[in-house]
Amino acid sequence: MDSQKKILIVDDDADFAEAIASFLEANGYRVFQARNGDDGLKVAKAERPDLVLMDIMMRERTEGFFTIQEMRRTPGIKAVPIFVVSSLYSQVPGFRITPEASWLAHDAFFPKPVDPPQLLEKIRERLGEPAAKGVTP
Amino acid sequence: MTPGDPVPLAGVQAPAPGAEALQPVIVVIEDDRAMRLACLKILSRSGLQVETFETGSAGLEAVSSLKPAMAVVDLKMPGISGMEVIARLHEIDPFIVIVVITGYATIDTAVEAMRCGAFDFVPKPFSPDELRLIVNRGLEHRRLLLESQKAEMERELLKRRFITFVSHQLQTPLVAIHQYLDVLRRLENPAPEKTREWLDRCLARTEEIQAIIKDWLTLSRLEGGRLAHQRTRVDLTATIGEILRTYEVMAAAEGVVLEDRMPEEGCPVAGDKNCLSVLFDNLVVNAIKYNRPGGKVSVSAESTPDEVIISVADTGIGIPDKYRQMLFGEFFRIQDVRKTPGTGLGLAIARRVVSEMGGSISVESEVDVGSTFRVRLLAWREPAEGKDA
Repeated sequence: MDSQKKILIVDDDADFAEAIASFLEANGYRVFQARNGDDGLKVAKAERPDLVLMDIMMRERTEGFFTIQEMRRTPGIKAVPIFVVSSLYSQVPGFRITPEASWLAHDAFFPKPVDPPQLLEKIRERLGEPAAKGVTP
Repeated sequence: MTPGDPVPLAGVQAPAPGAEALQPVIVVIEDDRAMRLACLKILSRSGLQVETFETGSAGLEAVSSLKPAMAVVDLKMPGISGMEVIARLHEIDPFIVIVVITGYATIDTAVEAMRCGAFDFVPKPFSPDELRLIVNRGLEHRRLLLESQKAEMERELLKRRFITFVSHQLQTPLVAIHQYLDVLRRLENPAPEKTREWLDRCLARTEEIQAIIKDWLTLSRLEGGRLAHQRTRVDLTATIGEILRTYEVMAAAEGVVLEDRMPEEGCPVAGDKNCLSVLFDNLVVNAIKYNRPGGKVSVSAESTPDEVIISVADTGIGIPDKYRQMLFGEFFRIQDVRKTPGTGLGLAIARRVVSEMGGSISVESEVDVGSTFRVRLLAWREPAEGKDA
């Protein structure tokens, strides 16, 4: 296997991010965390992650959207796959995000709480890795 | 407007209560020409814009464009009956105030009309003053209706927004707990320290949920107005002294000194003791939480004959300018949830308490220097003797 893939988690809830990070680390990824959009952008520029998990409502209600927009404009991280991971917008009718019907390009949407094996499967699929390795049942 | 058209929302279509008061439009629907002219003359002199119509159908047709505040309707007319005119008018504007004109012989009909939604009736013949009096009462009634309608809509909007926020705020810790437990059961041989740390975090987040529910209940009780409507004499020197004593231990643990500079002779304001306790409790706890070791919290008062201004000053982290506006909103938090626990409801509760008591709350702050919250409340006045309290 080639070198470890990098995943960036941008989420203001340290507990949520910690749980997901541990799960991904146990499955062989190198995980970075950021607690807000600005830091997320900085880490993304510095570390060039292979994939980003992005929360939406952080300091501002739509912070994640603007961070995604900014990433799409930034050379070097323009094309990084971004999975939106959010709870609020999965519930409010009219704000529902689906990958195919969103005004912002991102690659997948996961409502919180996230089902870890499902997330892992999508990440592997997106990164073009073979399935079934690591710790998940 | 035909009956099939959508009923306009009074709050949207009707002019604002203030604007309407300048020159409300009154529609007079009356088949007797002399009576129409009399109404026109009497009411125009009171500075009202009056439009008269000979038949119910002509009047109804004009109502949707004129948007009158009131209609004066003769009950006995050829064509569409007065009774039907009342019903149709209310279809067009549920808040239109209707006064019916009726002859001596038809008082029973007038009573029936009021049952159908007319506001009042004038028996024929009437004097100009009688008509003016009834119309003025009707306009006042309309103003109150529109005001309460507006307030009701605002309350409804706030409530809906609030429920969305509460559910999100409850869901955030629940998601964290769920995520920890779900990952924990999937990890092979997690380190015991990690398991232990995660369980502790789950407990902490559970407490967060409990705190939110507690604050939410406080807020909804305040919203019901049950706590705040009685204004009695509350001595803030005593109330605040009590609160400061309660938090002495917590402050000491944070290395923060509490300074009570409330006037010794007492500081009476008009309000509800429970609500004011909740308010100052929140402000004092914030001043301790968002402080620094070696810092200070100081509570003082200034009085004028009409109001009392209480200042709760801290030497803490301060509030950046850009957050100032959102500060009193529900669920606004500046800090990372992990660093300083809180529900994000404390200042929303504070703001609501203060507005229920007819006062106001403001904040001055400098980053890394500290914040001062100022609460203005009505000074207590002994009720004057021989007057209604």
